[in-house]
Parts: sequence; C-alpha cells; structure tokens
Amino acid sequence: MVDEAPVLELRGITKRFPGVVANDHVDFDLRRGEVHALLGENGAGKSTLVNVLYGLYHPDEGSILVKGEPIRLHSPKDAIKHGIGMVHQHFMLIPVMTVAENIVLATEPTQGGVLLDYRAANKRVAELSSSFNFAIDPGARVESISVGQQQRVEILKALYRHADILILDEPTAVLTPQEARELFAILKTLTSQGMSVIFITHKLNEVLELADRITVLRRGNRIDTVDRQGATEQGLARMMVGRDVLLRVDKGAPSVAEPLLSIDDLHVIDERGLEAVRGVSFEVRSGEIVGLAGVDGNGQSELIDAISGLQRVSSGTVKLGGRDVTGVNPSSILDLGLGHIPEDRQLRGLVLEFSLAENLALHDFDKPPDSRWGWLFPRQLVRRARDLLKRYDVRGGGPQTRAAALSGGNQQKVVLAREIGRGPSVLIAAQPTRGLDVGAIEFVHRQLVEARDNGKAVLLVSLELDEILSLSDRVLVVYEGRIVAEHGPDVGEEQLGIEMTGGGREVAA
Amino acid sequence: MSVRAEQLQRAAWTRASAPQTIGLVGIALGFLALWLALPPFGVRTAPAPVAVGILAAAAGIWAISRGKVRVGGGAIVIGLVGIAGALLAMRASSSNLEGVFVWSALLAATLRFATPLTFAAIGGMFSERSGVVNIGLEGMMLMGAFFGAYGADQTGSWVGGIFIGMLSGALLALVHAIFTISLRADQIVTGTAINFLALGVTGYLYNQHYGNNGTPNNLPAIPDVNIKFLSHIPPHGLGNFLYNSIGQLNLMVWLSLLLLPVSYVVMFKTPVGLRIRSVGEHPRAADTLGISVYRTRYGAVILSGALAALGGVFLSIGFLNSFTENLTAGRGFIALAALIFGGWRPFGAFAAALLFGFSSALALRLPDLSASSSAAWPVLFQTLPYVLTLIAVAGVIGRSIPPAAIGRPYIKQ
Repeated sequence: MVDEAPVLELRGITKRFPGVVANDHVDFDLRRGEVHALLGENGAGKSTLVNVLYGLYHPDEGSILVKGEPIRLHSPKDAIKHGIGMVHQHFMLIPVMTVAENIVLATEPTQGGVLLDYRAANKRVAELSSSFNFAIDPGARVESISVGQQQRVEILKALYRHADILILDEPTAVLTPQEARELFAILKTLTSQGMSVIFITHKLNEVLELADRITVLRRGNRIDTVDRQGATEQGLARMMVGRDVLLRVDKGAPSVAEPLLSIDDLHVIDERGLEAVRGVSFEVRSGEIVGLAGVDGNGQSELIDAISGLQRVSSGTVKLGGRDVTGVNPSSILDLGLGHIPEDRQLRGLVLEFSLAENLALHDFDKPPDSRWGWLFPRQLVRRARDLLKRYDVRGGGPQTRAAALSGGNQQKVVLAREIGRGPSVLIAAQPTRGLDVGAIEFVHRQLVEARDNGKAVLLVSLELDEILSLSDRVLVVYEGRIVAEHGPDVGEEQLGIEMTGGGREVAA
Repeated sequence: MSVRAEQLQRAAWTRASAPQTIGLVGIALGFLALWLALPPFGVRTAPAPVAVGILAAAAGIWAISRGKVRVGGGAIVIGLVGIAGALLAMRASSSNLEGVFVWSALLAATLRFATPLTFAAIGGMFSERSGVVNIGLEGMMLMGAFFGAYGADQTGSWVGGIFIGMLSGALLALVHAIFTISLRADQIVTGTAINFLALGVTGYLYNQHYGNNGTPNNLPAIPDVNIKFLSHIPPHGLGNFLYNSIGQLNLMVWLSLLLLPVSYVVMFKTPVGLRIRSVGEHPRAADTLGISVYRTRYGAVILSGALAALGGVFLSIGFLNSFTENLTAGRGFIALAALIFGGWRPFGAFAAALLFGFSSALALRLPDLSASSSAAWPVLFQTLPYVLTLIAVAGVIGRSIPPAAIGRPYIKQ
C-alpha cells in the first residue's frame, strides 16, 4: 500500500506570529492510505501547521508538495482544489441551514445556472452519505442533529469536494467514547479506499489505536516521526512533554474520616421539566475521592448544580459538613466550604474578558482583604494573584493578562488555583481535564490527590473511565438520574461500561 | 442543553396544533368584531360586535389554557380592543364612517404608503442577511429621494431620476460598507453617521439648487399604471372596487410587488442567496469553503443602498412629486422595524409594511370622523391602528431570530 511518492509533503515550514515561532522548519509527509497522527501538547503548533496546509495561514518559509508537485495555497479554495479537506475542531457548519445546504455551499448544483437545484443537492448528499453508511437526512437542520452526526457532515463536505487528503483537528474532543469509536471505524473505511488522513490529537491511546505513523511536535519543532509498531504511551508522552510523565496517578491509601458532603434522596427537575436526578443518596468523606462515572446526560450536571445551589432541588437534602444547605444560594454555599471546578471552564469557570487577578477574586472580592466598606483594592487582588499563579504554575501571563489569552491547560490551572486556593472542605471537580494535554492532566490529577490527602472530600465527575479509575477511592455509577452501583477502586472498566449503559442493575445503598 | 430546548420549542411550533389554530381564529374574530361596526356592515347596535369580541377572548383564554400563551393573549387583547373600537365607531355618524372607510381608497393608500417601506426593507434584508446591520437605510432612502428628483429634473426624464437616485443610494451604501466591512467600525455608529451625512448632503444641495422656490412643479413624475378594464369586470361593485383600489397605482407600487417574489427567489432559491445567508450566519465557515466574505458583504450592502434609494425615489417623484428637506421623516427606521418584525424575510417584511401602511392611511383619514362629534375620542382612536399593529406584529408573531453573525465585523485570519 505504501510504495509511491507521498501524496503530501511539507518541507521546512516556518510560521511566526508576533513573539512566537509557531512552526520552526517542520517537515511532514503523508502517504496514500495512511492515518498519520500529529501529536503534541496544546500550543505545540499542530493547528498552525494544518492551517498552513489548508491555506488559512501563509508560511514564512518552506514549501508544500502535493503528489510531488510544489503548490502555493493562497486560500482554502486552493487547498480544496488540490484535494485537501479539513474538519475543524470547532465545526464550520451553519446551524440554521440543512445538512445538504451546508455540504453544497459554494459549489451548488444549479438549474439553468440560476436557481439552486435543491432536489439534486439532496439526492447527491443522500447518495454520498449512504455510500458510507452515515444515515444522515440531507434535509435535516444541522442544529437538530447530534454532534457526532455534525462531524460526519463535515467529513461529507470534504468528500463532496473530492478530497483525497482529510485533515481532522482534534476530532474526538467533542465526542463521547462511543461516537469516537464510530469515527475510527469511518476513518478506517476511508483509508482502505485510498484516502489519506492527518489526525491531530493529544490523546495517546487514540494515536496507538488508529495511526499508522505518528509525528510528535513540541513548541513548534518536529521531534520525531515514528511507526505505531514499537511506539508506547510512555515514550510518546516523553517526546510530547520533553520529560518523563506520570501517566498513572501515584497515590497512597486514603485516610478516611467523617463525611463532609451528604446527599439524601435528592430529586432535581431539569430545564425541560423532566426529572434529571431521581432520588440520589451518597456521602463523600474527608480524605477520599469519590468518582461518579456515567455517560453524559444522565443527570450529572443537574446533580452538581443542585449541590452547588445553581439549580433548585425539588426534594431531598444536601448537607455540607453536617449543615443543611439545601436551597441556600450559591454564594453562601461556597462560603460554607464548597470548591467547584465547573464542567466548562470557559463558560462557567472564568470570565474570559476579565484579567487573571479579577478571575481569581471572583468569590472573595466583596470581603476583606479584597475590599472594605464597598471599596475594592485592586492591588491586593494583583498581589494574591501573583502568589497563586506561581503556586499553581500558570504560564503564559501575569495577573493583568486576560483569561481568554491563556491556553486551555493554563486556564484550568487558574480555576484550580481559585477553587482549591480558597481552602474548601468539599471539592467538586466536573470533567477537570477535558481538552487538556498530558502535562496539564498530570498537574490537575496531582492537585486533586493532594487535596484529598489534605483531608478534603473530593467528588470527581468524569466521562473518562480512565480518569475515574485512576483517581477514585470509591466509584459510583450513575444511570438515568440514579446511582446504580458502587465499587471499590479496583473495579474493571468492562463492568462499569455495562452498568453505565443500563445493564446489570443493582441499587446500591 | 439550551440548544436542545430551542429545538423542542421549534418542533412544537411547526406542529401547529389545535390550540394554535383556535387562537388564530380568536384573533380573526377580534378583528371581525371591529369590522362589523364599520362599512359595509355598519352594525349600529352593540350586541353583535360585543358577542363576537367575547367569542374572540374566549378562544384566546382556551388557547392559553392549552399552552399557547402568545396567540391566546393576542386573541384576548384584540377581542377587547375590537369591542372597544366597535363601540366607539357606533358613536360616529354613519355618513362620516362611510366617508372614512372607503375600502378601495384605503387599500390603494395602504399600498402606496407601504411601497417605500417595502423597497427599503427588502434592501435592508440583503444587507442584514449578509451580517451587516443597516441602520443607515433612512439616509440611503433620503439620498434616493433627493437625487431621484434632482436626476429627473436634470435629465428631464423620470427614468434618469430612478437611475441617478439608485446610484446615489448605492454610493452612500458603499461608504457604509467601507467603514463597517473593511475598517470594521461599529455598524450602528456608522449607520447613524450615514443618516446625518445624508441629511446634511441633501439639505445642502436642496438649498443650493432649489433655494426658496422648492423643486419645480413640472418635475417629471413616474407614471401611474391605469388598468381600465378592471372597472368593466362584473358585477359593477366589484369592478369599481378593483379599479379604485389597484387600477390606478403608480408603476413603482407594482415594481415593489414584483420585487417581493424576485428577492425571495434570489435569497432562498439561488446559490447567491445561500452564500449571502452563509456569510451572515457563520462567515468563517463560508470562508473555509472559498466564499469571499468581504466581497459578498460589499455586494449585499451596496444592493441594499440602491433598493432603499428606490423607495426614496418613489417618495419624491412617484408620490409627492417634489422634494423637501428630510422628506423621508423616519420611514427608513420604520422599514427596518418591518424587516425585523418580518423575520428578515421578504413577504414577512411586506406584511409588516402593509400594516404600517394601513396605519398611516387610516391615520390620515381618521380626523374626518371628528367633524361632527366631540374632539376628544378621535384623538385616542387615531392611535388604534398603531396599537393593532403592535399587538398583531410584536405580540402574536413574537421575537424573530436574526442572522447569527449580524453586527459582527469579520476578521480574516
């Protein structure tokens, strides 16, 4: 299969932005029918490289060759012409338009050269989609289909334009594990038909599952290109980060004390008026991490919101350190000793347009020493921020930097600094490592274990079973708003998978 | 999660249910209650209109109890307003009522008043669908009104007036485009500046050229389209009605009616329209497929200026046959409102323009009612068309969803 000239070659690509060299003489080649993974931490220059390849950025140095021919890309239009298609990390789809409209946009079939031929468009899209077993309705609005299906629409967009090189920028970041497996199957079908795929990711297990070859980038430099055969997670992680990384969390036995968070028969109605949490009871004790495993949308978000006072409890009680806080407002609950690392750091964890100093003061700005008699002391905010940023190893900015300017990993460190730095007795961490790279994940995990060792009660909610299993001292499984099982830390992934999807029900105490 | 909720809501909306229909029937009954008291029915006693109005309100209450709050509320309010209006109308003399409510003349006037709004609103649709707020419609209309008159005067032909008028509007729109698209200035601020610029330019040129005398009386006018045969359609009453309402309308009125399907097809049935909408919804997505966001927006904004100017041209040399300072007097803003109420769609905007047009036509005639009775209540009566418009459009139709990227300048990577 791999006996001809590479379908695509990048030679010495250099791209500079003010103050940074995003790509420093990067070489890369893609063979027909292979999946070539581009692996690196956030900010390693992966996205820059493929944006150059898609004509969105213009390289300062270097050349691009397609099937041995040097080409120049002035815009995505040129890339499309040369058979390059791209699925962006944030989908380039128009939610209010139909699947077919999104796919044919800019190369529409017409009737008499004037009218858009909707029938032909729908027919072609339907044919294309069924030839890959996608089962997508061409007439459905994009906003009404699932994220996984939207991604397939993006892939169809490229196929419709006869792409034979497909770039996927962090395609699994938005997918559930199930959807990710389906995507891998699709990509294998495509490569078996001669399509070549560039797959950007920072997840090591995906690389080892899918890729034929792996190129690792670090700080804009190409470190190495290796075959999957012989590659190991540990070795790849070292190349990515530049040092040895602890992939397994190192932690001692828990020294459990009194319960700090007690939930008793909690019921919560969600915004659609459906009962999302149906009689949940559990405790989290001082010095332990309790992992809540479950498929997304089984009531986890509503449960967390109810505990932190963001959503109304319809019945049942929430006790924090023995004190009933059911129905108490969120700000008071935080004052009573809750730390909350929210699911979406950009939407709920930070005010992106505020400085780091302001973000770090979001809870405490209205009490001394931050303010007194209604008067805010900005210098005090900056002083504390400087201290916290150093302690939590936040890089890429100082107290006055806007939160939006930081990378995802550093943003999450800011959230951790605020929530753990306040010294809560109970810490809720909702998907604390979503979208982070290995280095940042390691940091977050260490902080959570440290919090537990300091006697805090930690409730970890995560969709990643790996994370749940490596951190938790006890595992609860949530399904359709109920706790359906409880396990020790040594439960098998298989077992959890079955319970998470409703199999083998048994109600734990 | 909120996206999901919206989808559910939308799905519920498309599956138009029985309560929805009953609510709409209630609204229709509310209008009927008022209409009963007007010619040609001219019911002079209370029971009939009151009964119909109460029926309307009852339908509304039922619709609300089934969850259709908006439509039901509309039916209740319109039912009550209908009763009140009918009772008020009964206090005016029959002859006065018949003098005011000449339906054929009212229809003709409604169309005439709606025409400039329609042109400007359709123009605004192109600009806003491409993602550029065009609050400068007013100024572009005013430019068209002056240069339409000036062009007609200079070339001696109304055709010249139309072309020069459209050109002036397009040029002013080009200024708006340069500032908002290339220089990424705030679209509201720029649009406001455009309006003042137009006011100044047209005011200055008007005083310079026409000074104290005003525009000449023999200004070439856009002709009316006289459709004689309409009056011969039997029966006689119908023929007369048709001839008096649509038999003598201005050419521009018909052009505006033609513009509706044309702009609808362009916007929703052609590749060009799809691209304009894509640029207004998600410019980066359009860009990644090779559509030039800047070129598309420039085109759309310039076209919007030309169309808005056409509305102004109609005002000066199709309707009033003269130009005075600030001739448009806020009609551009009303057109913008019609566009928004109409959900950025041609026929929706036209429906809103018709309501506004009807309000204007009625407001002009209503003072005649007060000739024989006390002066107090007709003043109140005069607000009725506006109230009805507001209830019908804002209350029943509700919030319309703008293009997602509207008002946001696009920065190419």
